[in-house]
Amino acid sequence: MDEKVGPSEMIVHLGPQHPMMPGPFRLNAKLRGETVVDSEVEMGWIHKGIEKILENKTYLQGITIVDRICYLAALTNEEAYVGCVEKLAGIEVPPRAQYIRVIMEELSRIQSHLLGMGEYASFVGFVSMFMYTIRDREDVMTLMDSVTGARVTHSFLRFGGVKDDLPEGFKDDVKRVFASLRKAVDSYEELYSSDEIYKSRTVGIGVLTAEVAKDIGVSGPPLRATGVAFDIRRDEPYLVYPDLDFKVCVQKAGDVYARVQVRLDEMRESMYIIEQCLDQIPDGPLFPEGTAYGRRTPVMRVPAGEVFHRVEDPRGEMGFYMISDGSDKPYRVKIRGPVYPTLQGLPPLIKGVKVADIVAIAGSMDTCTSEVDR
Amino acid sequence: MAVEQSDYEEVPGVILTDRNAISDFLKTTKAQDVLNWGRKNSLWFMVNAMGCCGVELLSTGMAHYDTDRFGIIPRNSPRHADVLIISGYVTKKYLPALKKIWDQMPSPKWVIAFGDCAISGGPFYESYSTRQNVDEIFPVDVFVPGCPPRCEALIQAFFELQKKIEAKQDRGTEY
Amino acid sequence: MDANTMIDSLSTQFPDAIYDTKVESKIRIIAKVKPEIVTDVCKYLKENLSFGHLCCEFGVDYPGRNEIEVVYIIGSYDHSVVLTLKAILPRDNPEIESVVPVFWNANWYERETYELFGVKYLNHPDLKPLVLPEDMLGEWPLRKDYKGFPNKAAKNLV
Ligand code: SF4
Repeated sequence: MDEKVGPSEMIVHLGPQHPMMPGPFRLNAKLRGETVVDSEVEMGWIHKGIEKILENKTYLQGITIVDRICYLAALTNEEAYVGCVEKLAGIEVPPRAQYIRVIMEELSRIQSHLLGMGEYASFVGFVSMFMYTIRDREDVMTLMDSVTGARVTHSFLRFGGVKDDLPEGFKDDVKRVFASLRKAVDSYEELYSSDEIYKSRTVGIGVLTAEVAKDIGVSGPPLRATGVAFDIRRDEPYLVYPDLDFKVCVQKAGDVYARVQVRLDEMRESMYIIEQCLDQIPDGPLFPEGTAYGRRTPVMRVPAGEVFHRVEDPRGEMGFYMISDGSDKPYRVKIRGPVYPTLQGLPPLIKGVKVADIVAIAGSMDTCTSEVDR
Repeated sequence: MAVEQSDYEEVPGVILTDRNAISDFLKTTKAQDVLNWGRKNSLWFMVNAMGCCGVELLSTGMAHYDTDRFGIIPRNSPRHADVLIISGYVTKKYLPALKKIWDQMPSPKWVIAFGDCAISGGPFYESYSTRQNVDEIFPVDVFVPGCPPRCEALIQAFFELQKKIEAKQDRGTEY
Repeated sequence: MDANTMIDSLSTQFPDAIYDTKVESKIRIIAKVKPEIVTDVCKYLKENLSFGHLCCEFGVDYPGRNEIEVVYIIGSYDHSVVLTLKAILPRDNPEIESVVPVFWNANWYERETYELFGVKYLNHPDLKPLVLPEDMLGEWPLRKDYKGFPNKAAKNLV
């Protein structure tokens, strides 16, 4: 951004402490009157050097660290990391463990969307919605808590399996929670679509066309809201997703309203996936039989090689590139987060909009700064 | 002035002034206690989610845990806040901003170090870009260990802080 | 088009610049590229083979071989093949052409690789640090011989 300001222009700094998103980030916007003429995002307020830390930790220790890349999608981060190691070492995950992973990851998607959507509603002045979504999110968190023993950072996946089996009565709990959650999601949709003020702040605002979105490299709900059905779960299946029936939720409009709508639909789809999993889940071991892998992972050396493994995060495409040199620590790990390109695409998106819409547009991307900074 | 047996009718739940209730209260209670009582029951905290612990911070302030019932309310502006919660890793780049937030908060103010990162560096204790030993920079009142601590732990931390405020004997001069 | 034809098309188009190609599986291919011409290769990939989605770009440090590798991971919205493209640079003076004209979102990846590895990108629109504070520039923290890692300042450890 050009730092020079012309007559009747000024630069407004939003952030780094700003309630606009979980985590600090700064947007320097150059305004002429109320209109944004130019802007720039400053990052790195919570850069913690995870890639360097991972190089200096053994593979098992790394699991706890990757949890903290994006704290709203800890399980999908783990899946990407563990998947890399499994591909390198050639570990086969038994079906029961795969189903449990899918169940947990979809639960994590639901809670992330609930938080992201509710928080977003509060940015456009719809604070009571935030209260509703947080209330329902607590139920989902309790479900996850009952399996993994943690609410945010789970450390649940292990190489070749998962740490624990589903607790007794989990299926009934899920049924009970989902019955009320389904109703809640319907009521959110009704609230959103019937609120005139909300609609006038979101419909037709921040429109992203499919070409621009592809050019920017966006993935996840913001991309699917433009009509591109790009979903790693379907395009590059991992775990047992090929055996499950689900559709990729898309919307045409590409505006803020469509993005929220995609998230609502995805929550319904996730609930459907989980119910299928609970019906289909076979009995069996949690770890590959006849190997050393188990709840206590052995000291392991991973064969030399390079691998890129990607999974579908609640926010889009999450990928890990791992280089192993045959020792017990990875040589290099690159984390490709979904929000990184999305946040980068913010300045062109808010060019020419009014100041009040910045928050609506930036919030609708459901960005997680911690993952951008790593 | 002694009041004769009143001709007032007894109204349940209402203290009439002539029963000396308020003046008794003021005579028997130290100004210090009144101050402390006021301060401890309106601990508005600053929402600055800085890390994974920040998500728990958000949930604590919201509907399910409902800290409003203790007078603990999340605020988005440092100008309204009494409590700064350091909820996560402090990086070298973010430290100046955090100091500025602290300076903007009006006294009396308190700090809660929430999570292992704020206490000892947590999982990132050896990172090249985080700033360690935050307790040397901010006057931390309560430490909450955990990675992340649960929401109940934060509520407990506020109770500890309330006890601390209640015990204060500064005659209103400090802060 | 499957992985094999893609890699063939790429190596026939740039016979001198593309080497060490390998088809790992149906959806993963690897190739090495001469650093001078990486922008042209990317343009060809994007326009003719519909590799329009730059997943990421990063550096890898090999002090033993005195090399820094810049790795581009390029995927697509239309097919599921992912190409890993590697350019090898000397460690003393790593310089490479920027791919921002082709992939718009390479901008931040290159800024990050610049500040963490010291790779200079030529013709980059705005090469300045992204995530580190200004005064840490020049330390290249993700290189293997970086001195500041484990940071021993923490006092309250148990
Ligand atoms: S203490 Fe743990 S959960 Fe909290 S910010 Fe640090 S790493 Fe995240």
